Amino acid sequence: MTAAKDPIGKAALMAQGFVIPPGVFDLSASLDDAIRRSCAAPLRDGEQAHPIFAFIAALGGMGSRVGDVCRGLGLAFDSGAVLGRCRIDYDAPLTVDTRYDVATSVVALERKGSRRFGAADHLTLGMTVSAGGGLRARVRLTTIMPAPV
Amino acid sequence: MTSSRWELPSVPAEAMALWCETLGDDNAIHVDPAAAEALGFGPRTVNPGPTNLAYLLNMVMEAQPGAQVRCVDAALIGNVLAGDGVRAQGIWQDDGTTCDTELAVEPGHVVLKARIKIENGRDCDDHGEGVFSQRL
Repeated sequence: MTAAKDPIGKAALMAQGFVIPPGVFDLSASLDDAIRRSCAAPLRDGEQAHPIFAFIAALGGMGSRVGDVCRGLGLAFDSGAVLGRCRIDYDAPLTVDTRYDVATSVVALERKGSRRFGAADHLTLGMTVSAGGGLRARVRLTTIMPAPV
Repeated sequence: MTSSRWELPSVPAEAMALWCETLGDDNAIHVDPAAAEALGFGPRTVNPGPTNLAYLLNMVMEAQPGAQVRCVDAALIGNVLAGDGVRAQGIWQDDGTTCDTELAVEPGHVVLKARIKIENGRDCDDHGEGVFSQRL
């Protein structure tokens, strides 16, 4: 089967050159407070944000919504996409009242067997979260969605 | 080895909209019960995966106040729905900086596994290849 006839092959080819624009994420103290309340987290002590904000800043600050990235690649985001795995490496704590720069790239697009869907597309994005020119976190996340039929 | 625990009796549906807005996630399964049901998740909204991960981080933060998180490697292997009770559990390795955690939906169905390393921990050992395997 040629790449042109194979939906995942076509999408994979697109992913290689797919450009996700850089973006920014503004992390305010009030947002940190709200997120902490929403997930029953301990109150903030000082300027450090909840560590989940490395993930939130990465996804929320990327230059496109994750759904639009998936749709742009021809993937079935609206058929029940879920987060499959993620890895966060922290280079420095994230602080509140800080603007973060987010750079994102497509790392991999793979089709795999799925107990739930029969076949599923796994899109892995890699992000860096920086502030003031200094790296704060590196995030890699994989979104899984049913393969289009 | 020591262990840690953390619980939330009922996951609030109303919090999911805040997470979706903040994450830029327009996936309807998180905010619309009808959409979740139509896609086979059942008649309740699906908690965003990062929220579930935050529960595990809460447990680590409460067990080690003031510690810096260095690395998180997580596999999301199931879903948490609005109203579910969740229980986090972690086993600390002897080095005191590595916690193997899991989040379960009552009664004991594991939906998330993560290895969390805190300050003074070495880099995660797998260099990004993942310490858990998962297949949905």
